[in-house]
Amino acid sequence: MAELLTVENLAVHTGPRPAEKIVDGVSLTMGESEVLALVGESGSGKSLTAMSLVRLLPRPLTAGADVLTLDDVDLLRATDRSMDQIRGGRIGMLFQQPKHMLDPTSTVGAQVAEPLRRFRGMNRAAARQATIELLRDVGVPEPERRARSYAHQLSGGLAQRVMIAAALAGQPRLLIADEPTTALDVTVEAQILRLLAAKKAELGMSILFISHDLGVVSSIADRIAVMYAGRIVEQGPAGEVLTAPQHPYTRALIECSLLRPGPSGELCSIPGHADSALRITSGCRFRPRCTATHDAHIEHQCAAAEPALATQSHATRCWIGMPTQVKEPA
Amino acid sequence: MFFLIRRLAVLVGTLVIASFVVFLIPYLTPGDPVRKILRGRVSDLNVDPVTLENLRRSYGLDRPLLTQFWDWLVKALRGDLGLSYTRRSPVTEMIGSALGVTTVLAITSLLIALVAALLFGSLAAVKRGRPTDTAITSITQGFVAIPEYWLAPVLILVFALQLGALPSAGWRGPESLVLPCLTLALRPMSYFTQVTRASMIDVLESPHITAARARGLTFGATMIRHGLRNALLPVITLFSVWLAGLLGGSVVVEVIFSIPGMGRLLYESVINNDIPTIQAGVISLVGLAVLITTLTDMGYTLINPTVRAAHVSA
Repeated sequence: MAELLTVENLAVHTGPRPAEKIVDGVSLTMGESEVLALVGESGSGKSLTAMSLVRLLPRPLTAGADVLTLDDVDLLRATDRSMDQIRGGRIGMLFQQPKHMLDPTSTVGAQVAEPLRRFRGMNRAAARQATIELLRDVGVPEPERRARSYAHQLSGGLAQRVMIAAALAGQPRLLIADEPTTALDVTVEAQILRLLAAKKAELGMSILFISHDLGVVSSIADRIAVMYAGRIVEQGPAGEVLTAPQHPYTRALIECSLLRPGPSGELCSIPGHADSALRITSGCRFRPRCTATHDAHIEHQCAAAEPALATQSHATRCWIGMPTQVKEPA
Repeated sequence: MFFLIRRLAVLVGTLVIASFVVFLIPYLTPGDPVRKILRGRVSDLNVDPVTLENLRRSYGLDRPLLTQFWDWLVKALRGDLGLSYTRRSPVTEMIGSALGVTTVLAITSLLIALVAALLFGSLAAVKRGRPTDTAITSITQGFVAIPEYWLAPVLILVFALQLGALPSAGWRGPESLVLPCLTLALRPMSYFTQVTRASMIDVLESPHITAARARGLTFGATMIRHGLRNALLPVITLFSVWLAGLLGGSVVVEVIFSIPGMGRLLYESVINNDIPTIQAGVISLVGLAVLITTLTDMGYTLINPTVRAAHVSA
């Protein structure tokens, strides 16, 4: 399968190097028309990973990688000017809080039209017409009237549809969707997920779908990568990761997404905090919160090192899930 | 619509109250109004009481205060603000011509200030924390402390006397605008720059800027299309405050450059106790200030549609 996106050993630093790494050693590959879900709790580095792909990290964060290619384009060596062509052109983006992502002082139609004029060379009149078609296409009712609306006049779901229209306007090969349904209510969330799935099938684009919600992810993802404290801890086909998780963190996430509030009303949570995990410099970063049963031998390994993510289709960075021959001889 | 009517009511109310206060000026200042009138005309103030009473009656100053006010108000509404005590010419004409001069001076100065401020303020915001920002921020902070009575003579000395490039005083043609406008523009430019910088920094951090970049807009296009417009609101507010202030005329600048504007007119009227001119000048400035505030509020809604929504729902 031809790879669309290849990321090797991506890191995000908190400032000019040497600085703390808040994303570390992330490697990903995405094929054509594939949905890869990047899953993890807040602060795990999912969004930073996505933003570093399009070189939009907020200052003073910096990113580096060994390999970063989209199709035949080397994103590491791309000039800032050619990045302006890639964003909105080959890579479209969706965000959480769609209403805040639209300029309050300009009409939504004008914003959807921007990529049309820039990437498809349309004049003002053609772009206006195409904008209305795009809006209609993503299920915006009365697109002629809505094109003249402002962000504050739209509901969250409608604003996200507008954002989808704007993201698709440049005919991207890859859509990065950063928690696109988190701020929406459940029925609207389902509509947006169906719309994204339909557009993916229609246009043959790939989607990097970022979410903390495995329930949402299960309905759309082909493959899942689970992030914890800036690293990918498990990666594999969606069905396998969800039914046969190998990393204790993935298992805990799945349990939490399935469990309803307990009899006393408490919500499921994974004991401990991820905040301090970045300060763990050796061994597994999930170690302090891990509830899996370890024998003494594995316990020693957990503290000493974290296994590299293998290249096989379903892989994990947990010693427990490792095939026995990888273990050191006793 | 309701918003408009309410603003108009406020405008009219403010003007009525202000005009009453202004009308009271001669009665609030110590001394007999008739003697004040005389002082402007004759050097000998030892007038006999009968003449004084006759004068009082001829000016209508013997009638009840409210009757006098009503009379004055009705005439003022017809555009008749009386005769100047000292120059014996209609006050309306004097105010009209002075206000015209001052308006040109104020608007030119503030537009210079605004354009420079948008440029420097945006630049400082984009280069936040770098040397460019530090330079712009500290220089404009310094400019705020430069008084007009110092800057004006320095500019005259350099550009008029040494280089002979520009006239040092007077009001003839565009070149006589340059030095006074530069003098007047410096301080508002500094304030506008600082406000533009602060609001631009806010806007740059807002999510919709990231989204615009993600749509493929270049940094420059994003700034112009989605940054400036959002950052403009607080600057417009400050602009209108300065406009209302500068329309009162800058006494210092108009006197130094011999410009026949409101500042100099009012200054001379006060010196000469020319009460009708003072009254008319103050009331037209109050009116202008209220008008500008109203126009500014309406201008917001053109720039920011969310303000429009707030008015509709209010």
